[in-house]
Amino acid sequence: MMRPRLKQAGWIAALALLGLASSQSDPLKAAVATGGAQYAQVILDQDEGQRLCTQYQSQLPGELIPKFIEAQKALIRYPANGKLLGDWQNGEKVFTDPKRGNCYACHQGDPKQLAYGTMGPSLANYGARGTSEPILRYTYEKIYNSWAFVPCSLMYRGGVHGLFTPEETADLVAFLVDANSPLNRR
Amino acid sequence: MRWTGLALLLLSLLGVLAQSVPEDPRDEAKRQKQLLLQTSGILPSDLIVEQGKDLFYTKRGPRGVSLEGCDFGLGAGVLQGASVQLPRYFADTGKVEDLDSRIRTCMTQLQGFKPEEVKRSEVVPLAFFIAAQSDGLPIQVRIAAPAEREMYELGQKLFYARSGARDMGCATCHVSYVNRRSGVLPFSDVLGKDASMSHWPAYRYSNDQAWTMEDRIRACYGNLGHPQPDFYSPVPIALQLFMAYQANQAKAELPGFLR
Ligand code: HEC
Repeated sequence: MMRPRLKQAGWIAALALLGLASSQSDPLKAAVATGGAQYAQVILDQDEGQRLCTQYQSQLPGELIPKFIEAQKALIRYPANGKLLGDWQNGEKVFTDPKRGNCYACHQGDPKQLAYGTMGPSLANYGARGTSEPILRYTYEKIYNSWAFVPCSLMYRGGVHGLFTPEETADLVAFLVDANSPLNRR
Repeated sequence: MRWTGLALLLLSLLGVLAQSVPEDPRDEAKRQKQLLLQTSGILPSDLIVEQGKDLFYTKRGPRGVSLEGCDFGLGAGVLQGASVQLPRYFADTGKVEDLDSRIRTCMTQLQGFKPEEVKRSEVVPLAFFIAAQSDGLPIQVRIAAPAEREMYELGQKLFYARSGARDMGCATCHVSYVNRRSGVLPFSDVLGKDASMSHWPAYRYSNDQAWTMEDRIRACYGNLGHPQPDFYSPVPIALQLFMAYQANQAKAELPGFLR
């Protein structure tokens, strides 16, 4: 029974570092290569934000919030052409696609679409806020990296993780704000 | 593979509004259980328990012995009250084990099966049978041995961990968004009111599925597009020890019967 015991000890040593602000990795990777390597890899590859949200169980102490938000803002990338307002029709595809936005899992969107989750606020009629530069910028940055506004939010950072590109983020913005988008049609 | 979970999650949403405001899933499950008992006289979960009982008492494996010699923590062959005290530390393996891993340990060490010969299709019914012997008893796990403490702490970290491309973890839904839903069912209050560890292993009548908590945990990760932890690895065991400790004193309903 010697080997399984060591194996378990290795896992514990490796995973015990979870949520601690340390990222030395090579001995860890070796230790977890024994089993569940893929799972362990994802856990051990936590970025700084995930590590902090883990450590504080998603309730960051107030004094850490300004730095956290600053660090998350710095992760936001913008479309090469600088346009934050893209094509709403493509935005709808990204919004619906389970591999990309998967936004319906948490939000109401097109009111005709009856299957949606209730974890996030309804986005129906989001366009009532208009299309001013500050609204476009907020919407773009929120979708690209929601943690730049609400640290450790349930809403994942789709842009940061490359689930959609900056251009697709601009398309999502259009789906939310464009007057012709089904989100805003009456 | 990674995305099928999410696709399913989304697909499962399609059923939502057809039913308008759904009744509390706990009440619905109780009603279904009654209905099934009345119409067929036996629950599908009872049949799985029976199957497990056969597997338990039959002399099997290269050594041709039953599992009666297996110690689930209260002594060889003592089943009543055993599963509500799991996971726990076992001196003979030097490991903290849950029900699944202990069954596997006995199938390999006692019956002589090779680890790769231990099939889920046998472990699950065995787990149902053994768990059923603790029906109605309070959950009673302890954190005493150093290995148990380590596992508990690991489980707690993993439960609250945020990881992967979806920045998620168990607590994001099962603590912060209890009663909200992403699919048809609202998220259960795993650590609180639902004391989830008190009703697993469980039978789910909506898709005729018999699962242990290890299956359940792996499926949760799958739904998040997160690689799944291996069966019998410390990850599902640690998560269970953490959850079971929060559920201490909750009355076990075993096997569980869920939507
Ligand atoms: C896992 C659940 C989840 C998913 C998936 C999700 N969101 Fe959210 N979203 C939330 C939650 C919860 C909030 C409220 C807390 C916050 O602001 O972070 C929110 C807030 C928002 C807001 C801010 C609303 C406001 O009134 O200012 C926008 C915009 C938004 N989401 C857009 C999206 C889009 C677009 C997608 C798909 C790319 C998406 N969300 C996917 C959970 C989710």
